[in-house]
Amino acid sequence: MNIKFLRKPPATEIPFIIGAPAMIWQVLFFYLPLLLLALSSVLQFSQLGSFEGFTFEKIAFFLRPLYLKVILSSFVLALGNAILCLLIAYPLAYFLACVGKRHKNLFLFLLIVPFWTNFLLHIYAWFFVLEKEGFLNNLLQGLGVIAEPLQFLNTPFAIMVMMVYYYLPFMVMPLYSSLEKIDMRLIEASLDLGATWGQTLRRVMLPLTKRGLKAGFFLVYIPSFGEFAIPELMGGDKMMFVGTVVANYILGDETGSLGAAFTLVASILLLLSAALLYFVIERLIPGKQHG
Amino acid sequence: MGVCFYSLILHNRVKCGVWLKMRSIKLEKLKKTVHGGVIIPEVSLHIPAGKFFALLGPSGCGKTTLLRLIAGLENAESGKIFLGEQEITAWPIHKRPINIVFQNYALFPHLDVFDNVAYSLKLKKLPSEEIKQKVTKILEAFHLENHIYKRTNQLSGGQQQRVALARAIVNEPDVLLLDEPLAALDFKLRERMLIELIELQDKLKTTFVYVTHDQFEALTVADQMAIMNHRGQIEQIGTPKEIYEFPSSSFVAKFVGTTNILSGKLRESDGQPEIDIPDLGKFKLNIPQKKEWMREGSDMMISLRPEKIFISKKEVKNFSNTLKGTVQSIVYHGRSTQYNILLKNQARIQVFEQNEEHFPQEVIDYDNVVNLYWQKENVVILEK
Repeated sequence: MNIKFLRKPPATEIPFIIGAPAMIWQVLFFYLPLLLLALSSVLQFSQLGSFEGFTFEKIAFFLRPLYLKVILSSFVLALGNAILCLLIAYPLAYFLACVGKRHKNLFLFLLIVPFWTNFLLHIYAWFFVLEKEGFLNNLLQGLGVIAEPLQFLNTPFAIMVMMVYYYLPFMVMPLYSSLEKIDMRLIEASLDLGATWGQTLRRVMLPLTKRGLKAGFFLVYIPSFGEFAIPELMGGDKMMFVGTVVANYILGDETGSLGAAFTLVASILLLLSAALLYFVIERLIPGKQHG
Repeated sequence: MGVCFYSLILHNRVKCGVWLKMRSIKLEKLKKTVHGGVIIPEVSLHIPAGKFFALLGPSGCGKTTLLRLIAGLENAESGKIFLGEQEITAWPIHKRPINIVFQNYALFPHLDVFDNVAYSLKLKKLPSEEIKQKVTKILEAFHLENHIYKRTNQLSGGQQQRVALARAIVNEPDVLLLDEPLAALDFKLRERMLIELIELQDKLKTTFVYVTHDQFEALTVADQMAIMNHRGQIEQIGTPKEIYEFPSSSFVAKFVGTTNILSGKLRESDGQPEIDIPDLGKFKLNIPQKKEWMREGSDMMISLRPEKIFISKKEVKNFSNTLKGTVQSIVYHGRSTQYNILLKNQARIQVFEQNEEHFPQEVIDYDNVVNLYWQKENVVILEK
């Protein structure tokens, strides 16, 4: 028997050994398909399936205003969703981190309860809320705000509501764990030194929660960009986003490679926009990386 | 810090046309409750302008809450707070010209030393040249000039303490509040910082309010001090000497320093007041001011400080009072020795003796029978 094989691995190799299965998994099912996707969008095959050479036709096909507009609307949707989630989640996370400390487990539990029910059930629940005879219209009519029921379903409003509803916990969790680590006396010290609440937020709280804020922001922004189900179900068939276009091509006849090409174009633009947003956040929030 | 600091602040103030900012703090029936529990029960207190004021009390007595009420970090349930002549009870924190030095310093971890100190100046939107000049000067005065661009977590405890102080006074507040600022420092450093704080206050003439549970710190720094009891009430206000030598209650006597409390009944013989202690005898008293409650036979307590008692195996004359006892234990403290003496009524009494000589003439050992002597003027009569 090979003695070398039985030796105890040195300490530096242990993390590598532990991480190996996950890395193999990641390479097999993520990087390899990604490579295949990129290849299939630039390779040209004959009708019989033989290799004919490289082509950028498929990519060029999507660099037209029609498709760029689809990508732009996805960008607006994802950015809007991330900003709305941030605006709602920050006060909520602050409340959980300091005011609601005694019942924080209960609050966190309530926050993740929605994940336990099926996604489609959420959508149907929102149908009941937003439809013509639904809860929201009844409420507004009852309060006398509107006379005639409004059209909520199949509008950007319905998409946005559902997006925020679904993605909010992804923003709250990292923000909460960042805010929880802040010493509340730092906020008091800031106020004591003459800062208003607004200045304290900008100069102390945001810099100290920058890491959580960025994590939450991109945890919402990136999947929102490619979101398929919510715009499809809440927005009817009028609005086109990256997710819907990709689905149309991939599921369509003989257009799989076009879908791959579009995915590639959209992904590259997504990466660029994410990098841009990263620098915007870095510029907006003062202070070095912390928390 | 001394002279350098003096010139710095004086120079700045003459230049700005502001002369020695100092204002008193007055609390009127200030009350604070949390979830129905009373933390501060209607406290009235006057903190004189330009003085070093210490608020001394046991842990959890509400002294920090009182400080936070003054700073504006807590809202009072009722009562008023005055800064000089101005009522500031309803003022928000950031409007009050009062700064606080927190117990854990609360330095901003995302900013370096310079930006920590410059924080309040930047909020005031001062020109950056002026900010730089002010911050650099104050950091030099605090011997921090080599640490200007360090992160706060790279500093030692004493340095962090100085940054916190510099940050609070660079803004030139009318009142500086200090919440147990030296609690985290070791003894030697604490002694040095106490002296520096006294010097600083002396130069700035800003009203300092120093909260502590440590009687040594309070006695060292204070011009005036107040003693707070477990219920959040002020027991006594006075100079450190008044508080130590003439405590008004047994709480103050026991909390500030060590003392022997003896209880008995008030008697009179030949026109001289005496205390009759059961199973121990009668001892002469000095009553400088006769109070209403002092009647023949009324219950009373006296406080007798351990260092006010003279201990000897020999007979000594010219003392008003004397008492015999057995040495039960001896604790050597260096500069003094503490004897615990068992009396014939099974009570114990503490005696401190200065170790004045290398080879004392009289050696007192365990189980020796000794005489204790004290003058009647050194006995303090306690009201409760």
